[in-house]
This record gives sequence, structure tokens and C-alpha cells, in this order.
Amino acid sequence: MTVGNRVLMGVAGVAVFAASVVGQEPSLTARLVARGAPAEFAARVEALVQAAERAGLPGEPIEDKAIEGLAKRAPVERILPVLEQLRSRLQQGLAETEAAGLTPAPGFVVAAAAEALGRGMEPEEVRELIRSAPAPDAAAAGLTVAATLAAQGLDHRAAARAVHDAYRQGPSAEQLFELPSVVADMTAHGMGIADVARRIMEGGGLPLPPMAGEGRGRGPPGGVPPGQVPGKGQGQGQGSGRRR
Amino acid sequence: MTGGWSVEAQRYLDGEGPPPTDADERARADAFLAATRGYATWLRVPGPQIDQAVIEAVGRSGGQAVRRSVWRWLVESRLVVRPAVAAAAVLALIAMSVGLTLLTRPPNRPTAQPPVEGGGGAGTGTVLVRFELDAPGARTVALAGSFNGWSDSAITFSRSPETGRWTVTVALPPGEHQYLFVVDGERWVQDPAAHAQVRDEFGQTNSVLVVGPRGVVRS
Amino acid sequence: MAGEPESDAAVVARVLAGEIQVFGILVARYRPAFARYATAMCGDPDLAADAMQEAFIRAFDGLRGCRQPERFGAWFFRILTNQCRNYRSRWGKHEAAEPAVLVEAKASADDALMQGELRDAIARALDQLSADQREAFVLRHVDGRSYREMAELLAEREDVLRMRVHRAREQMRRFLEEQE
Repeated sequence: MTVGNRVLMGVAGVAVFAASVVGQEPSLTARLVARGAPAEFAARVEALVQAAERAGLPGEPIEDKAIEGLAKRAPVERILPVLEQLRSRLQQGLAETEAAGLTPAPGFVVAAAAEALGRGMEPEEVRELIRSAPAPDAAAAGLTVAATLAAQGLDHRAAARAVHDAYRQGPSAEQLFELPSVVADMTAHGMGIADVARRIMEGGGLPLPPMAGEGRGRGPPGGVPPGQVPGKGQGQGQGSGRRR
Repeated sequence: MTGGWSVEAQRYLDGEGPPPTDADERARADAFLAATRGYATWLRVPGPQIDQAVIEAVGRSGGQAVRRSVWRWLVESRLVVRPAVAAAAVLALIAMSVGLTLLTRPPNRPTAQPPVEGGGGAGTGTVLVRFELDAPGARTVALAGSFNGWSDSAITFSRSPETGRWTVTVALPPGEHQYLFVVDGERWVQDPAAHAQVRDEFGQTNSVLVVGPRGVVRS
Repeated sequence: MAGEPESDAAVVARVLAGEIQVFGILVARYRPAFARYATAMCGDPDLAADAMQEAFIRAFDGLRGCRQPERFGAWFFRILTNQCRNYRSRWGKHEAAEPAVLVEAKASADDALMQGELRDAIARALDQLSADQREAFVLRHVDGRSYREMAELLAEREDVLRMRVHRAREQMRRFLEEQE
């Protein structure tokens, strides 16, 4: 690190510290320099992120990738092209999210779509996973899970199908995150990954552990259906009896 | 990061600064505040009647501190689960919950209660996840990942004297996490027990773990 | 007994000692404190009622796990946030966005139709946020809490929360402007 950079880092370090004390957000440039990035590189990253955000893309994935590259001591000439590729994947993710009917596209869904595309899922599959998700949170989770299932060795169609089947059970986003563990468990107990895929394609689905709180009878815990309590009240939220 | 709102406007919206000097920006800020305030006052919120429902439910549960049963999950699942897989999954959950006491609920207990979330994350929405590495020659091992800015020193493993294995347990929110183990501060190593390995585009490979509310079953 | 309300820690101790019904004091204390937050997070008052009920019951069940009973409120808040996330993602739907408009504030305050549109606009704009951003925004703008209070509730640094709220506002502005 040159003397100049060290000085800048010292200055940036102070700036970051001072900003955090006052409760303002230090700029991305300052934060990257505080992590050892050359100042010019840091400024270029910040410009890239700002341009992406102006285009309606989420900037955080790009920031996080830059931080990852710096932490891994990748040369800066290597990091910038990676960030640019990521930006273009985010652009694609945005296109698919909008094509799926989710407009304007929430940043976290765009980010999940971009990651899924980067892991080799087809644009069509990504679109369908967003379209058929019960809610945006679940769409992002579904994309993440499908991409991981594919990385675990399931072929794409089985991975996407497993998530679609799970959607139909009305899961929370968090429940969807169980699926890679379910697959890991199946393979740990001797089932080949190809057999898992076959089971999914034959309509067997993956067992989705119920949300903590379900599967214990009607109504909320204690068996008191919401709404059946004294003093129902006018127009106030009193529970919906949504449980089976 | 700068975005649609100027720094001035953001301070004004925080109630910590004067209105923006630009008239259009000020009008938008005021409109935004008015709309948000209108939304806030309009909300119909749950009222005192839910207090009673909670008290009744609590009284019904017998008032004992809960120990939860994994078997409940198997028995009460609404889903058609093939027995072999269910048994396997239950075994995995048990293996995962070393340290939790599993009790079967006495038959006369009126309410069924679910397994503790994620192996003991203290009800905060995070899940305790354990990482292990066999690296007998290592002097230090750290966990670097998306959850800690890839710091190679913030989360360190400790070595078990009996097994010689390095372990650390971390509270993570549900979702996908990418990470690597950092051995002796310089070798970045994959976790063979991760769900998957993916390219990091810097020429390396990251390990991926997707954490569910119940924890993880490793590969 | 003195006229002062019992501290959370004292009530928790009594519940754990077997006085189950006393848990009602905590319910009566924190349901009003967090009802607005729960409704904004769930997007619907009935869902919020379910989520709050569930959260209180879990808090009761897991009460021994509350390691700092003097901070019961913050501990319960996290359970509630978790429930709101679950309920919202399970039951929340994303409908096709209808035009929502960031209108200038010269509109007459009596115009109920205008108010309704603005409220809907904010509700839909909240849908666009990530869970973290929505939580921070709601605490700040719907509950009107200070960053210091928020830091205590969310166990996060104030500057991080400030950034989150700023980003949330940016997202919302972008959403609202795209409808114009």
C-alpha cells in the first residue's frame, strides 16, 4: 500500500468513524477505503453502484461483492469486471421480475433473480418462480432455494418443480429455506440425487416441515379460535381464523 | 448512498434538519410526510380483546415451561410424508438438537406445541448453526462469510481437545449464507458439509448453506 | 404495595414462579405498544392480531429463555417481528399495483378520497421494501420512535438504522414516482 493510500485510509478511517458517531452514513467510497481499497477504485465502485441504483437496480449486492473481493485480496483489476457482470445480471433479474408481473420490482427479489440466473437457472424458470410465488418474500426465497437445489446437484427442472410444489402448500418464506436441508438429509440417508430428482418429477414433492405453530389442531395455541373472545369490538383487528 | 432524496431532505424527513431549500423537493418531502402520517393514523390496530385470548390460551397450556417434542412434527404434519423420509428427517433433527431435551408430551396435555425453532436460537429469529473442520495442523481457523463482511478474523473457531476438531457455533438468520473457512489467516477453504459450492467469480469457490427456521441438515 | 407499576423483570419473575395469570400485565403493557407496528408489518389488522397473539404465546412458552427480563419488551419485540414476517409472507399477497401517486400537499385535508389513495400508496410502497427496511421505516415513521429507541429494540447501531430508513425512503419514493 502506498504512503498516499495509507494516509487516505487513515483519513477515510476517521471519516467513517466520525460519520458513525454523528449517526450519518459514511459513503461507500469511505467504507471501501477503510477496508484497504485504493481510493480511485473505491470511487469507481461507488459510481457503479449509484448508476445501478439510478437504473432501478439494488446496489447492495454490488457493494457486498466488492467487499468480498477486497476481503479475499483479489486484485482490483479483477474486481471491477466482476461487479460489472453482476450489474448486468441484476439488469436481467430486473427484466425477469418485471416480466413476471412484479412491478415495480422489489430490490431483494431482483437480487435473488440475478443470483439464480448466475447459477444457471433459465430466465423462463426464474420468471415462473416469481409469478407463482404467493408473495414477494416467498418469491425471493423460492429463487434462492431453487438455485441452491440446482447447485446441490438437482437438475433445474426438478429444482424449480420442487419449489413450485412447495409454493402450493402456502409456506412462509422461511419454511422454503428448509428445502436444501431436506435434500441433504435425503442424500445423507442413501438416496441418490438423481432419485431425489425423479421423485420430485413424479409428483412426490419434497416434504416441507410445517411451520412451528401448525399441525396442532384448529385455532391458535390453546384452541381458542380468534374472534371468539368476549368483546369483539368494532372494526378492530381481532384475528381472522385463518388457520385450518 | 445517494438516491432520490437529497441529504437535506433526508435530515428533514428524520426531523433533524430544516426543510430543503428546493421548493419541489420540499413539496415532495411534505407530501411524503403527510401521506405517511395519514397512513399511520388510519391504521386499525388490534385492541384489548386479544389480551383475553392470550390469557386464556396461556392458562390452558398448564403454565409449564415448554419442552417441545420433535415427534409432534411427525405425528401432526398435514403433509403426506413417506415414512422412510420422515424418519430420516426426524433422526436428522434429533442429531441436530444435541443439547435439547426431547420429551414426549404426556397424553392428557391439551395443547400440542411445536419443536423449538432452530435448535435454540432463543426465540429471536436467528438460528444456531455449528461449523466444524478437521484441520489438525492448523494454528487458527476463522469463519468468513456474507454474514460478517468476509472478515478473516471476527469469528474464530476453537479446537476441541478430545477430538482435535475445530468448531464454532454462530447465530444466523434464516436464508442463504455464503462462506469459507480461513485457516492460519491465509488459506481459504471450503466446507465439505455445506449444501453446495458455488463460484465466487474471483476464481475461488464459496460454500453455501441455506438456513431454515429449524436449523440445517448438512450434506 | 406501592402505586408504581411493576417492572418487567419483577413480573417475569412472578410468572416463572408460577403466577401464570400475571403474564397478562405484560400483555396489557406491550400489546398497545406494538399493535401499530404489527399492523403495518402484517399489512392487515386481523393478521396482526393473529401474529400478536402467537407472539405472546410463544413469549410465554419460552419465557425461561428471556435472559434479560428487564428488557422483556425488546425480547418480545423480536419474537413479534418474527411472527409478523411469517404471517406476512405466508398470507400476504402481491396484487397488481394500481397507480399510486405522490401528490403535493396542497390537497384539502377533508378530501377523503385523496386520503384513501395516499394511504393505499404508502401501504403498497411498504410492500416494496425488504423486511429490514420495512421494520425500520415503520418504527420511525408509523410509530414515531427515535433512532435511539429503535437501536434498543432492534439491537442495531443507530447509524445502521438511519441508513436503512434512508434507503427505505428512497425505495418508496422511487415506487411512488414511477406511478406518476
